[in-house]
Parts: sequence; structure tokens; C-alpha cells
Amino acid sequence: MPFRLIRLKNFFLILVKNRLAFAGLILLLLFVFAAAAAPLLTSNYPTEKAGGKLAPPFWVSYIYGNARYSQNAQFGSLTTYTNTSSLGVSVQSTSLGPNDVNVTVRSVAGGTVIVGKTLDYSYSAPPSEMFGTLVVTPSSLSLGSSQPQVAVFFDRIGVREWGPLWNDTLKPGLTSQTTIRSTDPGLAARLGYQSGTDLGQIVFSAKGAYRYFVMINLPPGQFQASFLIKQFSMSLYGNTYGLMGTDFTGADIFSQFVYGTQLSLMVGLIATIIGIGVGLIIGLLAGFLGKMVDEVLMRFTDMMLVIPSLPLLIVLASVLGSSLWNIILILGFLGWMGFARLVRSQVLSLRERPFIEAAKASGAGTSYILARHIFPNIVGLTYVNLALSVPAAIVGEAALSFLGLGDQTAITWGKMLESARESFTGLAWWWIIPPGLGIAMLSLSFILIGYSLDELFNPRLRRRR
Amino acid sequence: MGLRGYLLKRAFNTFILILFVITLNFAIFQLIPGTQGVIANLLQNPRLTDKSIIGRYENQFGLCASYDPATQHCVLATASQRFGKYFVNMLTFNFGVSYQSGHPILDDMIGTGRLYNTLLLLGVSTLFSLLIGIFIGVFVASRRGTAFDTGWVTTSLVTYSLPTFWMGLIFILVFAQDLHWFPPGGVTPFPTGAPLPPFLQQIPTRIAHLFLPALVLTLYFYGGHLLLTRATMLESLSEDYITTARAKGLSNTKVLFKHALKNASLPIVTNAALSFGGLLGGAIITETVFNWDGLGHWIFSAISYKDFPVMQAMFYIIALCVIVANFISDIFLGVIDPRIKYE
Repeated sequence: MPFRLIRLKNFFLILVKNRLAFAGLILLLLFVFAAAAAPLLTSNYPTEKAGGKLAPPFWVSYIYGNARYSQNAQFGSLTTYTNTSSLGVSVQSTSLGPNDVNVTVRSVAGGTVIVGKTLDYSYSAPPSEMFGTLVVTPSSLSLGSSQPQVAVFFDRIGVREWGPLWNDTLKPGLTSQTTIRSTDPGLAARLGYQSGTDLGQIVFSAKGAYRYFVMINLPPGQFQASFLIKQFSMSLYGNTYGLMGTDFTGADIFSQFVYGTQLSLMVGLIATIIGIGVGLIIGLLAGFLGKMVDEVLMRFTDMMLVIPSLPLLIVLASVLGSSLWNIILILGFLGWMGFARLVRSQVLSLRERPFIEAAKASGAGTSYILARHIFPNIVGLTYVNLALSVPAAIVGEAALSFLGLGDQTAITWGKMLESARESFTGLAWWWIIPPGLGIAMLSLSFILIGYSLDELFNPRLRRRR
Repeated sequence: MGLRGYLLKRAFNTFILILFVITLNFAIFQLIPGTQGVIANLLQNPRLTDKSIIGRYENQFGLCASYDPATQHCVLATASQRFGKYFVNMLTFNFGVSYQSGHPILDDMIGTGRLYNTLLLLGVSTLFSLLIGIFIGVFVASRRGTAFDTGWVTTSLVTYSLPTFWMGLIFILVFAQDLHWFPPGGVTPFPTGAPLPPFLQQIPTRIAHLFLPALVLTLYFYGGHLLLTRATMLESLSEDYITTARAKGLSNTKVLFKHALKNASLPIVTNAALSFGGLLGGAIITETVFNWDGLGHWIFSAISYKDFPVMQAMFYIIALCVIVANFISDIFLGVIDPRIKYE
């Protein structure tokens, strides 16, 4: 086995033996897994509507009982049939997908054709919202005296019917379409309820078998036509959703959390790597070249250290613009000072060691000594600092996002907290706890690993315990 | 080099730092998208040199070297003159006019009570975090290795590493929204302009409004003080004079506070001054979370209004505060601690 691999293996073994480091490593691996497998863990995009607005997670029903909670439900597969009373109607339907069907009708004396979907609604509470669509395009109408009518209904099977939710006269070649929303105040009024009442609350007030159907009334007389019915769907958004609930637009918070993990890890790692790189270069130059270079670089470092970081971050982000990459760069280029000083002091002590003098005596150049003798001796420091600086970058990004300076298109953890605060709906615990815990836990994992690495590379620290 | 030389050197360093901050501030705000365009436009268009039009940009960019006495027209400044003017403006706290309100920034800062609100919040939370941090730190150090010790060290590490904005939101959620113990934000519920109730009646309401933000900042900062106190106390408790004091039969409290803490207090006080920058950063966030109408909340609203003069002024003032705090702690160290080497 090559030498490097053995070293890496030992390194991991030592890391795993230390209890705290092991906990940190497991925690970090969980986050890395969540970030890498985000598309597998959730089928929703962070901004896509997935459930009712501000729905708590589904498991609250295990705490508070089932009576007040419902989950998402959708009307199932399409069936086409004629009314039993319609004689002389022949129907041929071709399914074009779960929500699309082409119905060809032939009738002699009128009748009705019904295309419906059923749902076994198993929650005792009504949904928080419902949303349905329908597009009907008639073709090859052989016109009788009047034109066919289309209407949409709800039906609690065997109990009662609500409708029409919408109706229209079909004209050849013209597409009729509708969108049915429970939030539409006119919808309930059309059915004789008080305007502004949520129709979903009325219809789905009990468990049971439901049907959602479109009815086409055929005109009397000889008639032949085909109807292309598309996007015939009805979604009921429950008042609970998923592992972590939804935000005020109904987007899935779990999906935001998981994709936020990706962004946080990316921001933290890249910003830190930039900071470490700059710090390494400045520290190496200052420590090894000494004299004027050292003086100038260290005075500059001291000045940068004194300037309060958050106000400087705010000013830079608002002046330079707040795309995610800008923020990463700003965080990176403001995070090198401490490390530069550390590297410099290490280099100052290394510089006087005999092996450096030996290398100089045998004619090694500055860059060779830096790369071959000095750098390998501060690699340990680099790892430690990498682990310990990531939390600062993650929290810095979250703070900027929280202040409204984040990338408006990237849903990071800080952005989630900002929207939760700015939504004017009161604070929802399921919206606030996940991003905050994410920030804290991810930071904790890096800190745990960092401290153990510190002990590993810095044997003097081991007597601490 | 004696104490005088040390102080002179510190003062010189402080001056260089202030110069650096002003230069940095000038450079950053030259980068604002559109700024160069505005300047170029103003410089090229002779009709725009009218005092009333240019006045708005005057303090931000220092565009005019002087005004023609006859026509009141602007005699345009060169880049170096602009910087010189800006420098003088910053040193004399002449920050120009806020885009949001149209008032001079210094008036908006002091006249509206923002400065007072921030000082109140910062003062209260600094006081409590220092008191709690030092007291608990002393007791924790005297019981080293016990569950009491590890418990407090862990707790302070946790509160220290939780993001302030999250802590604030959770407190609002629990104590304001669910339990209704405290108001969710704001400095006072009194409407502006209306006569205020007598001062004694204001106190309970004011304390109720102050409580949560001060609690967040205190929780965020006591941890650092606690850990530092513990570390320095552990060091001084292992000194010989502590053994002597105990051998003399002094009470534990006396040993801890009169002998150990007194000698351990230097780094604690210095650290309190040095953590000022972090405190101000925490205040920006906390004031925003709690709608506490102070300087931090002002920065937040300046961000959303793109009120650059305010941001510029606030950045300068905060940096200045930190620099001055550093200078004071340097002086303090130099005067108090005879062990310090004046190099």
C-alpha cells in the first residue's frame, strides 16, 4: 500500500477513536449525504408548491390527534361512462395519460357523458386548499339544434352533489378551460354559500368516497363528436405536509432544508478554502521573507483584524451586489487574517531549524524550501483551520441572508429564516427550527472535528484532558 | 521605552488605523454601481454644477472644491481633493444626508433616539453578560472537573455558537407569540408624537420590551467571558499566593474574589474591550430581529433602501468605536499592568 494511503488510513483511525471527533464526523457525513442525495431525498424543488400554505409537518397528528389534520390527497384514475338514463349513446374513450382522455360520442336523442375521478378521503379534517384544472376541446361536432354543455361537479358518493363548479357551452374547435381554486371567493357564492367560504371545507367535511367529475350534456337529436379532455385533475392540499411542513407559499420546507445544506456546505467550504489560501500565501511570505515584507503584511493583517467583520461584510455585500458567488468571495477574502498570523509564527520558528539551514547550505532556493520543507510542516495547521473556519463562513452567509443581503434566488438556511420572519404570518416553529438547527449542527460537526485535528497535530494539547 | 513612548506609539497606530478605515470606506463606496457614472455625469455637465443639485452628492463624493461666489456654481474637485474633503468630513462627523429621510445623518442618529436605544441595549447586555460570565466563571473554576464545571462550559459553548438571529426568533416564538410574556419587538409601544406617560409608568413597559433582545445579547456574550474567566482563574488559582491565602485561613469567597479574581481580572477587562466589535455586530442582528429602533436596525433599513451614506457613516462609526475601544484597552493595560513590556 502506498505510504500516503497508510497515513490517510491511520489518520481516519485516530479520528474515529476519539469519541467527539467521531460524533462530528458522523454528523458531517449525514449533512454531506443530505446535500449529495438532495434530489433523491425529495421530489419537490425548494420553491415549488407542494402542500397547503403554512402546513405543519404530518407528524403533528401523532401529537395532537388525527381530528384536526389532513394530508395531501389527489383524485385517482379517470373513468368514462354514460348516465344510465341516456339511451342510444355510445361512447368510446381513449386514455392519453392519467389526466387526459379522448372521448368519442355518438347519440341519437341526447344524453350525458360523464368523465370522473374518485377519491377515498380518509382524513377527518378538510384540506386547507384545493386546486383543479380542466381543458376541453371538442372536435368534429356534427351540430344538432343546440350545442353541448360542459359542467364540473363534486359528489360525496351516495350523500350529495355540489355543482356546477363551472360550466360552459362547447363550440367546435374552441377550447374551454377552467381553473378551480378553493381560494376563489366567487366559487362558494356560485353554489349558494356565503361568498368567501372555502368550498373545500364544505365538501370534504367528512371521511368518505368522493367523486370529481365533468359532465357533458349532449344536445337532443343526431349527434356525433369527440372531446379531448386534458389536465383533468383535482389536488387537495392537506393542512399538514411532509417531514417539515410548508412555508407560506406552500413550498416544502424539507426540500428547502436539504438544498440549503448543499448551499451552506458549498459556501462554507469554498469561502474557507479561499481564506486559507490567501492566509497561507501571506503568512508564508511574511514569515519567510521577513523584514519589510513581514512588517507591511503584518501591519495590514492587524488593521484588517481590527475592523469589525459583520459591518464590513454588510457594506461590501451591498456595494458589490449579493450574488451567491460574490458572498462566497467576500467571506473568503475577509477570513484569512487569523490564519496568516498563525502561519507566519509557525514559519518564523521553522525557519531557524537546522534542516532548513541544511537545505539552504546545499543550495536550495526560496521557493523550493517553501514548498518542500516549510509547507509540509504546516499542512496540519491548514486542516485544523479549515475545519474551524467553516462555521464562521456558514454563519456569516446566514447572517447576510437574514439581513436581506443574500442571493435572492438561492434558498439558503439564512434566506429561509429571513422569509419566515418577513412573511407577516407570525413565526411558524416548523419553519424556523430546521434552518437554525442546521446551521448549529453543521457548525458543531466542523468544530468537533477541528478540535480533534488540533489535538492530533499539536501533541502538546493532548495533556488538556 | 517608557510608558509615554508606549502610549505615543499606540496613539500613532490608532491614527494610522483610522486613516486606513477612512481610505477603505472611500474606496468601497467608489465601487457602488453607478457611482462612477454619477460622478462622470456631474463632472461633464456644466448645468449640473448648480449648488442645489450637486448638494445631494456633495457630502458623499465631495465633488466641489469650492463654490464660485458670484454664480454659486461648483468648482469641481480633483480626485485627490475629493479624498481630502471626504477625509475632513469623516473626521468632523459630517456624513451628509440620509437618502431615506433627507435629514443630516448625525441628526437621524442622535435626534431620533437611535443612539440612546442602542447604548441602552448594549449597556444592559454588556453589564449582565460580564456579571454573569465572571461570577459563574469564578465558581466554575473553583469546582474544576465537577459536573457543575462541565455543565456550564458546555452550556456557554452552546449559547456562544448558536446564531444570534436564530436565538432571537426562537425567543420571539416561545415567549412572545406562544406565551405572551413579552412583546415581540419594538422599543416602546407609545405612538410617536403623542404625549408620553409619566416616566415611572413607562419603566415596566420599557423593561418588558428590553428584556428579550437584552437576553439574546447577554446569552451570546456571557459564554466568552465565562470561558476566559475560567481559564485565567484556573491559572491564578494554581499560584503560590493562593495556597498562602488558604493557609492563612481566609474564607473561600475571599480567596476567590480578593486574591484570585483580582489577579485574573486583567485579561478579562481587556477582552471585554476587544469583544466590542463582535458586540456591535451582534447588536445589528438582534436589533433587526426585535425591531429595536437603534443603530443596528437603522443599518438594516439602510440596506433595504440602498441608503449608502447611512451605511458608510455607520460602518465608519462602528469601526471607530472598535478602534477606540482597542486604544483604551491598550492604555489600560499599559497603565495598570507593570509587567507589560514597552517595546
